[in-house]
Amino acid sequence: MKKAMIPACVMLALSLVVIVGSQTFLSPCVHEDGSFGPCHWAGRALMGLGCANGVLALLVLIFRKARFGVYMSAMPVCLMGILTPGTLIDLCHMSTMRCRMVMQPAMIILFAATGIAALLGTLSSAKE
Amino acid sequence: MSKTFSLSAKNLIRKPGRTAILALLTAFLALAVFGGSVVVLSLRSGLNSLEARLGADIILVPTEAQSKVSFQNMFLQGTTGAFYMDASALEKVTEVEGVEKAAPQTFLASLKADCCSIKIQVIGIDPEKDFTVQPWIARSLTKELGDMDVAVGCKVEANVGEIIRLYEQRCKVVARLEATGTGLDTAVYCNMDTMNALLKAAEEKGVSHKIESGSDVISAVYIKVKDGCDIDAVNSRLNGHIRKATAVRTRSMITGVSDSLAGVSRTVSGLIVAVWMLAFIILLLAFALIIQERAREFAVLRLLGSSRRMLSRMVLTESALCGLLGGIAGVGLAALLLFPFSQLIESSLRLPYLMPDAGKTLLLAAGTALLSAVMAALASVAAAYRLSRIDPGTVLREGN
Repeated sequence: MKKAMIPACVMLALSLVVIVGSQTFLSPCVHEDGSFGPCHWAGRALMGLGCANGVLALLVLIFRKARFGVYMSAMPVCLMGILTPGTLIDLCHMSTMRCRMVMQPAMIILFAATGIAALLGTLSSAKE
Repeated sequence: MSKTFSLSAKNLIRKPGRTAILALLTAFLALAVFGGSVVVLSLRSGLNSLEARLGADIILVPTEAQSKVSFQNMFLQGTTGAFYMDASALEKVTEVEGVEKAAPQTFLASLKADCCSIKIQVIGIDPEKDFTVQPWIARSLTKELGDMDVAVGCKVEANVGEIIRLYEQRCKVVARLEATGTGLDTAVYCNMDTMNALLKAAEEKGVSHKIESGSDVISAVYIKVKDGCDIDAVNSRLNGHIRKATAVRTRSMITGVSDSLAGVSRTVSGLIVAVWMLAFIILLLAFALIIQERAREFAVLRLLGSSRRMLSRMVLTESALCGLLGGIAGVGLAALLLFPFSQLIESSLRLPYLMPDAGKTLLLAAGTALLSAVMAALASVAAAYRLSRIDPGTVLREGN
């Protein structure tokens, strides 16, 4: 039972990194003139998806009996998180810009790691 | 051998904590070796690419370009720069003794392009005369650059067929160029007619490129010196013959980069050696402690009929497997840090940085994992020897 909760804790921690990171150290480009590029909205969407994952992780910790379904539902959210920067929402058109250089790779890794945690959670829940 | 292998594998699986710690130690070693080697290789490839892309022996630029220090930064970091001189400089260059080829280029820094929030460097070339950029473009574009056609560097995220706006002029992307690992990857290339149209459009937007004489302008002349001629002598002649312009030997630009690269390589190599030594010493101690702890286990195996040779082989196999496991983990972790963040590394180093191709990288990864396994096995040789000398009776009697 306790082992099945570990992925939820990892998911919660990673979601917090996504939420805080998307607004601070992993934030999209800051335009000098104060205008918003597409990457700004990608950053907002990533923060939303991070919140969704965080809530799902909390649900696992609170409603332990429903964890199989909740872990499963976190996986499409992670897939959305991987596809959001650059595929679902466009980023700036220069690889040297912050959104492509920092935000995109970091978010893909974070959401992929969250997805793996959700998958492990699903598998361990299924076994029990 | 297969019996020893399966017994070793079972030992590792049944003690996941011990296996994880040993694997983690070798993972650090693999991380340092693979990560460091990829960075050094990328820097070397970047330097080679820079040499190939410069292609010319001498570059003639307006004297102001030298004081702005913008010329070298354009190549290395892709910063935008625009400086102009009279187009007649090209003719004067061809008059100088020892000059084999001369090709003009005109630079224009775009306003914030609608696709990005930063300026883009636009470089106008004469496809007929050019011998530096044109061969590179020809690898991605079989036809000539037409009017209002542009070829974009690999770091400009625009697809072939897309329209990009430069000074409100619609330019069609006809090719995306191969990576060079230099600042040239962030530039947009067009022919001289397109460049003249863009210069005119820039003029209308209030971006002046006029020079005192009011005649046509160019930004640089790339010069190839005839075989057998002294490049320094031609350089001096150019500096004496053409006013308000400075001839710079490309070798001097590369030497500066090469020196920086040597410094970075030395630091990385030093770090690799330090991590290696530290990891090896820790592994030696770890194996010594583990063997001491497992003395009873091995004594029982001896009593059950295992030979000294078999026990030594089992220890070596276990440590090699741990090393391989750690090596793979270390290489994976290094890849996870290096490949997605290669652009960030390049920007931080401020040096030409071109990642090695997939084949080379895979070979390096396999070599590192194998090396980790060998190092771990070597670290356990002393422990395995000591183990083969134990007297099972004494160990079991003493309870050690």
